[in-house]
Amino acid sequence: MKLLEYEAKHVLAESHIPVPKGSTVTDPAKLELPAVLKSQVPTGGRGKAGGILIVESQDEIQPTIDKLLSLNIKGFTPKTILAEEKLSIKKELYLSILVDRQSANIKLIAHKNGGVEVEENTNFKSFNATDNPEVLGQQLADHYELPDQTFALQDLAENLKTCFVKNDATLIEINPLILTADNQLVAGDCKMTLDDAAAFRHDWHFEEKPAEANFVTIDPSGNTATIANGAGLAMATVDAAYEAGLKPANFLDIGGGANEETLSRAFNRIVEYKNLQVIIVNIFAGITRADEVARAIVSAKKQIKELPPLFIRLAGTNYEAASEILTKENIVIMPNLESCLTTAKEVIHE
Amino acid sequence: MNNLFAGKNVIVQGITGAHGSFQTKAMLAASTNIIAGTTPGKAGQEVEGVPVYDSIKDIQATNQVDITVIFVPAPYAKGAILEAITAQIPLIVCITEGIPVHDMLAINEKLKISHSTLLGPNSPGALLPGVNKLGIIPAAMSLKGNAAIVSRSGTLTYETMAGLTDKGIGQKYVIGIGGDVIHGMGYKECLELFENDPDVDQIVLIGEIGGQDEIDAAVYIKEHVTKPIFAYIAGHHAPAGVQLGHAGAILGSDQESAGNKTSILAESGAKTANSVTELITLVSRDHR
Repeated sequence: MKLLEYEAKHVLAESHIPVPKGSTVTDPAKLELPAVLKSQVPTGGRGKAGGILIVESQDEIQPTIDKLLSLNIKGFTPKTILAEEKLSIKKELYLSILVDRQSANIKLIAHKNGGVEVEENTNFKSFNATDNPEVLGQQLADHYELPDQTFALQDLAENLKTCFVKNDATLIEINPLILTADNQLVAGDCKMTLDDAAAFRHDWHFEEKPAEANFVTIDPSGNTATIANGAGLAMATVDAAYEAGLKPANFLDIGGGANEETLSRAFNRIVEYKNLQVIIVNIFAGITRADEVARAIVSAKKQIKELPPLFIRLAGTNYEAASEILTKENIVIMPNLESCLTTAKEVIHE
Repeated sequence: MNNLFAGKNVIVQGITGAHGSFQTKAMLAASTNIIAGTTPGKAGQEVEGVPVYDSIKDIQATNQVDITVIFVPAPYAKGAILEAITAQIPLIVCITEGIPVHDMLAINEKLKISHSTLLGPNSPGALLPGVNKLGIIPAAMSLKGNAAIVSRSGTLTYETMAGLTDKGIGQKYVIGIGGDVIHGMGYKECLELFENDPDVDQIVLIGEIGGQDEIDAAVYIKEHVTKPIFAYIAGHHAPAGVQLGHAGAILGSDQESAGNKTSILAESGAKTANSVTELITLVSRDHR
């Protein structure tokens, strides 16, 4: 789960990491001026899109808020506006902490130049977050060329690591990390991702964000919808459809343990593609049970009248029961993905 | 390593749960020697005729345990894996999906100083047709033989295995290493196992977009693998920056794309395919 900036900064502050003074806007009349108003959208490139505005006088407040609330940034409009003090900036740095797949360890990543252009930079330096905080403080101070901030950076590294572990985070990115004119290190902006798998041991109350479903549109004008279980098989199904000369509209992984509800939701989204002509279903049941998938297909076919022809490949756990259910409804199971795609190709018309 | 997967005495942790009991039946049907299972507080029960104990220690009082297969739900999986490590079980196969990454980081630290090898988590396990079914890979679609498959995607493993079986190409090993960010055995360990097992005559590697694992595998192949090897990377048409399904599959840099991984594997000596269908065709052709 990705947090919005104000949520992430609240989590940082709880772990004693300095953030600018501020709060979400509830009563515009009570804003302390000047203030920086920031649109709270779950995407990057917000500054360039005009989602951060400075307010100097009372009569600017309401129009600025209205402007931000109606500004669409990469498909998102904010529900919340964050108001913060205006900082005097001496230097902008970059600091993040993440789980490094290759070393199976927690790493701190630093860069001398923070701010919006960070993606274009390459001179990132990584440190083992599990090292002694004193060592880390020294290393960061050397890298940033800020020797008089050694102790502050030591505290920051230690608090950031505690915050990361305690909150089951998988990424915390402070960018920019601001050195103010009076030599304080403050988190200017923050992106934070928490591990959904750990939700059971936390009492998380964050703003609802659009679900990052395992459904991705590849080409909205595509003629072929794909449904598969498992990310690998779903990607392989899309690859194979391309190779067979079809135009896949989407990637969909219904996951392990798929049931009638998940499949019905999937079919309902798929039928919205306007050029859709065929649906490829490629399920290899392991932990999923093929008979449950078969029942879901039968019920979806009954519920959705305009459903394009289905080309189904179903195998694995409880295949016999599944085959019985589908045969009873005159629904054909193809022996493999290849035959699904070849037969589907035959019904496609330009 | 060979002996690890061929281990005789197998137990199931979380045997009384829905997945645990269902899959125990399937593993028994594939003639896996399951001697016992555990679920805390359910000692004395039986699942498919297999006795249930409270803990691994209780089983070890009278039996040697070679392999454990874990179906314990994610919130309790850390405890289950640590119990198996403490019990010094040589091979731990963890099927459980959705274990928090910080739990896996903690487990990984213990593993480094342990006597155990971990396969998984979020893995379909390993299938040695006719020898052992350790997890959920459907045995009905397999055939005993001399090919070896390693993959980080569960269902794509089944797909490839079934395709080879259809063409009459049997398998000695079918191994899913799991798609999680932090996991046990990787491609390298599996390739080492396949290269050193004289029964294995050809190797199939299936990868995905995202991460460096397949690139590291390519380096290993170039330096150590002498057997014919065939590879497919899923996600040639994946959009950049979007997470596809599980934790592993997110295309970050160009380096992590299916196209780049495929060409690096090709340079290392693997024969590469752009789809599973093509992969299966490649293997059969070379086998003749």
